[in-house]
Amino acid sequence: MMQYFTTELRKLVPYRTFWLFILLYMGLLVLLLFSASSVQINNQAIGENMYVFPNIWSTLTYIASNFNLLLGILLITLITDEYTFRTIRQQVIDGLFRSDLILNKFLVVLFIGVVCTFFVLGVGLGFGVKYTPALTLEKIVSGSMHVVYYLVQALGYMSIAVFFAYLIRRNGLAIIAYLVYTKIMEPLIHWQIPDELDKYFPMKVLSSLTPMPGKEVLETITGVSDQLSPQQAVLPALGYIFLFYLLSYGLLKSRDL
Amino acid sequence: MNNVLEINNLSKKYPGVQALDKVSLAVETGSTFGLLGPNGSGKTTTLGIVLDVLKASEGNFSWFGQPLSRATKRRIGAILETPNFYPYLNATQNLKIVADIKNVNHAAIDPVLEMVDLLARRHSLFKGFSLGMKQRLALGAALLGDPEVLVLDEPTNGLDPEGIAEVRELIKKVAGQGKTIIMASHLLDEVQKVCTHMAVLQKGKLKMCGRVDTVLNQHDQVIISADSLEKAHAFLQQHPGVKQIQKENTELHLTLTEGFSSADLNQALFAQGIVLSQLTLRKKSLESQFLNIIREPKTTAI
Repeated sequence: MMQYFTTELRKLVPYRTFWLFILLYMGLLVLLLFSASSVQINNQAIGENMYVFPNIWSTLTYIASNFNLLLGILLITLITDEYTFRTIRQQVIDGLFRSDLILNKFLVVLFIGVVCTFFVLGVGLGFGVKYTPALTLEKIVSGSMHVVYYLVQALGYMSIAVFFAYLIRRNGLAIIAYLVYTKIMEPLIHWQIPDELDKYFPMKVLSSLTPMPGKEVLETITGVSDQLSPQQAVLPALGYIFLFYLLSYGLLKSRDL
Repeated sequence: MNNVLEINNLSKKYPGVQALDKVSLAVETGSTFGLLGPNGSGKTTTLGIVLDVLKASEGNFSWFGQPLSRATKRRIGAILETPNFYPYLNATQNLKIVADIKNVNHAAIDPVLEMVDLLARRHSLFKGFSLGMKQRLALGAALLGDPEVLVLDEPTNGLDPEGIAEVRELIKKVAGQGKTIIMASHLLDEVQKVCTHMAVLQKGKLKMCGRVDTVLNQHDQVIISADSLEKAHAFLQQHPGVKQIQKENTELHLTLTEGFSSADLNQALFAQGIVLSQLTLRKKSLESQFLNIIREPKTTAI
């Protein structure tokens, strides 16, 4: 397993596209946090309320959740590259089996997910320390579970992308299908279906992991929407992650390379 | 004799096309086996299936008498169609990935690069390589880990004459070390020069399979002329030793059945009182043998 991971790293580390996506993710996240901190609501800068411990964790993971698509597109690129370069063929010829291919890409997903989560953790600590007046360890730790929920969410977004990549095998088309599904198809389905049911749909489950801060306030205007709590969403999310890998494996197994 | 590869009744159906139709063949240990056929005859499909890249619709195969496993894959070095590498990595980086997968020590990389004459270019990116260099790198990757069997798909495709000669030398060198080589080619000349055994595929069907020298000796043509050509013609048409007969001006072009030599023919005619003024044995080139095999309706086993 460790050998597989180092082999995947040999492909990733020298790849500029990989760094481009990771830096874009990190840069945009920090940029958004900085620019949002000075926005005034009710004569109070957002930063003074939203960026203090423990609020920072829910704020930060909610903002970071918007950049998950970037990670998904990166995964699609990494997998469809293997088709374009035909290295997926060569690796099967040289000794891997289709199950190894899936496992390898899961290791990549895990790696990117953990790296980004640690980044979010670091940024959270930085902003929290800056904005929180009276720091205590208890304040810092409380609410940090949100970071774990975020990890599950990032893994979920990338796992759906892995499925679309293996399904379509071409970079551009797979990215379009992925965006259409996550941003258009599922929201449209949500509109048609009662909340009790659609709260279990993949994208809704994933977004439940990082609920919008101040949602309660908003719901006094728009009406309460039935949504899983982050704690409740973890298990279904992990279930979906497993399901998407299973589907990807089924696709690989049944097709020519 | 042990077989490296056995293929039984292998079929592959694509929508609307029977790419491979019940092909069975065996490759002996230590042989250099040429899979010959025109483009689209099913050579790459056959190799793709036994290399686990394509799914067979029917039939099965075994390597070293065993089903495909991680262990059997490591005993095979193979190139299918194009050289497949990461364009943004250099030669060494690419081979490190291959070595990892084959569980081969990275110390084996430089000797292999040396062997395919790429050591000086080992830090150049793959995307900057010429076609010949790419092909050689693929050959080097296939040689990593010193496999017992080398599977090559059109190994000289797209190379210049010098490159072709180099690759052939390399193949002969590897074959000389007692390794088994299975290569697909649409070049008869290549198979004739390099291979000990061959199989001919056409439209997904196996047309022939056997030793190259046996195939070459088959179907030699005998040309005769005589004063009483009409009489000879009539007599030979009845004779069981003559397979085919064709009249060309003042000559008869004959194909003899196996075991019936030109000397036997001469004797039989002389016994009939027919004296030949000419008897010529014409060896057929592999090219015309090949065309013969492809024209024949049924499979010839040798």
